[in-house]
Amino acid sequence: MNMKLFIVIFLIIPLFVSLSSFILKNKRFVEYASLFSSSLDLAGAFIILYFSITLKTVSIFNGAIVIDKFSSYIILLVGIVYFLSSMYGISYMRLAIEDEQITDGEFFRYYFFLNLFALSMLVAPMINNMAVYLIDIELTTITSAFLVIAEVTEKSIEAAWKYIVIVSAGISLALLGTVLFYLSGNIPGSGNIATSMDWTNLSLNAVYLNKDIVRFAFVLIVIGLGTKVGFAPMHTWLPDAHSEAPSPISSMLSASLLNTAMYGIMRYFNITGKNLGFNFPQTIMIIIGLFSLFIGVMGIINQKTTKRLFAYSSIEHMSIISLGFGLGGIFGTFGALLQMLGHSLIKPVMFFGSGNFLHKYKTKDIKKIKGAFYVMPKTAFLFSAGVLALIGAPPSIIFIGEFLIILQSLKNGYYWMTVLLISLLIAAFVSLLSKTGSIVFGKADENFNEERGDFSPFSYVPMLLPLAASLILGFYIPSGLHNLLIGIVHIINFKIK
Amino acid sequence: MLGYSMPLYIYVIEDLLVSLVLLSSFVMLSSRWISFYIHAYGFQSFLIFVLTLILGIEAQSVDLYLVAFLTLFVRTIFVPYILLKMIKKFNIKEEVKLTLKIPFSIISGVVLTVFAYFLIYRLISPFSSKIVVNASSIALSLIFVGFFMIISRFTTITHILGLLVIENGIFLLSVVVVPTLPLIVELVVLFDILVTVTAMLILSMFMKIQTGSFSTTMLNRLVG
Repeated sequence: MNMKLFIVIFLIIPLFVSLSSFILKNKRFVEYASLFSSSLDLAGAFIILYFSITLKTVSIFNGAIVIDKFSSYIILLVGIVYFLSSMYGISYMRLAIEDEQITDGEFFRYYFFLNLFALSMLVAPMINNMAVYLIDIELTTITSAFLVIAEVTEKSIEAAWKYIVIVSAGISLALLGTVLFYLSGNIPGSGNIATSMDWTNLSLNAVYLNKDIVRFAFVLIVIGLGTKVGFAPMHTWLPDAHSEAPSPISSMLSASLLNTAMYGIMRYFNITGKNLGFNFPQTIMIIIGLFSLFIGVMGIINQKTTKRLFAYSSIEHMSIISLGFGLGGIFGTFGALLQMLGHSLIKPVMFFGSGNFLHKYKTKDIKKIKGAFYVMPKTAFLFSAGVLALIGAPPSIIFIGEFLIILQSLKNGYYWMTVLLISLLIAAFVSLLSKTGSIVFGKADENFNEERGDFSPFSYVPMLLPLAASLILGFYIPSGLHNLLIGIVHIINFKIK
Repeated sequence: MLGYSMPLYIYVIEDLLVSLVLLSSFVMLSSRWISFYIHAYGFQSFLIFVLTLILGIEAQSVDLYLVAFLTLFVRTIFVPYILLKMIKKFNIKEEVKLTLKIPFSIISGVVLTVFAYFLIYRLISPFSSKIVVNASSIALSLIFVGFFMIISRFTTITHILGLLVIENGIFLLSVVVVPTLPLIVELVVLFDILVTVTAMLILSMFMKIQTGSFSTTMLNRLVG
């Protein structure tokens, strides 16, 4: 099959659905069209994955789009979350319309930007030119900022404003880093090494780049894209945007957007590692990862509302992923990649559960949500199972990821760091369990008069599917996935053979 | 201009232009009125346009001509125009609320400029002439001053202008240091400015409707 045509169709589906949702203005059509487009894109992501495994690297449109195993893995993660979110969105947005939280205009605007947001995230890992990639990340910021204000309130505007200002400033730093990377290959007197800003080109000629400039530029990239990933101290937009956005959007922000930004950092990580030796980028990732882990866990301990709690948990998970990449080796990188998958599978469960509670209890306050097990049993069961998977209880895939990362840190001989990492993980474990325990098992308020029972299947099936997948993967990692991840480990740390 | 050898008078003109750019960023730091800011930004973009055009003529690069004229249209005319129009439409005459006093802002600007100079000197001095070091350190200082403007002023318009100054700095740096930069990069950066400014203006209109003001000081509900 013609790969060019396939990619064009793959990308045009969400665009088409988003435009049609703006033109047709038919609620039922828009909902199911989004679900349809997302399931097609999920299938397409699997096909792209298959191509990239069998053909090694797909390079089309004169090398403007390059898809290797790493890109197709990220595309798959985005596809999964897009599918789950548009399925859950059907239930969430219907309930929001019933409760008169949003108007019809806001409903159609939501679907317009939802598909555009998904499109911009699906494009990001394919792009070869790093400057264009950064602009695409900027586009994800803008489309998702309009999704954060799906329900226009003072709080959501505040969140969107912080989000756009902080992240745009961060992206411009990353752009500066990219320009400096280009400069490092175009120094007068040493020939034009980097003829373009493509990462394939930079990675191929990485050894010849100017070392001083690369060192400075990589730090700029980590700070700039790290703003988007949610590394502390640039994370301040993240809890606000995640908590004020509608639940399906929170899950897309948390489970796929952060990964697409992490992808960019890892591309530069590879180039910098080839140029300076992997010690330098690994040290930076470890430092920023540990600091963000600390901030994330402290945030988890302090939170009083459900969605902010899981937003801080995203910071925690992204910093564990960063630590895994920073520790390097096969175990560390493999663990970080598994952690990415686990985070993308489990985080939607948590945000969808909080969304269901929000509609039932009309509050995000943890203290006011009690006895969910008696009020909405299915959601509460999946929610509590999700929390167990999220904090890394065994047989979930996150357990394996974290275990591998801890193993690598012991293997490298960083004993103090391991102790710190484990104690922070335990702190997160305990505080997440105690907070969600009161939500699920506490005694319901006597004044609580809402009708008992769950919402429509659209509200809990999207929670069930990823949870089941993460449990199965916890028991058994198929050889295909294993080979894929090993392949990506080789792409990121090229010296391991 | 790194990598090109040019006649002396071009160097003099460019030195003059970049010092005027630096001056305009200090004008922004020291002003209290929003419209003043916007005019200073337009002036700064115009200077960058002239600089890019001269470089384009000297290097005989069609890409640089194109980028220069796009800069003229987008940064010098379009963006200041819509910002000024918006101010007129919503009747903003208010002063910018400063957290720091003006003398302190100017001193911080000076410190940031010196810091930028040292950073650039360390990075690129081994292989570039003095004029390139000067120009690119001013470009980097624009980036720092933009960040400083964002954190020290509390209106939506000044946040937008801070981001625009940062973008100006990046653009100036890339034009001065890597004139061979592919055209597509400059184009997407300009596109980025357009989209970001539009999105931020829409957001600040929402904010005006909801809170009745363009000030971001009331954005203090989400903490922790």
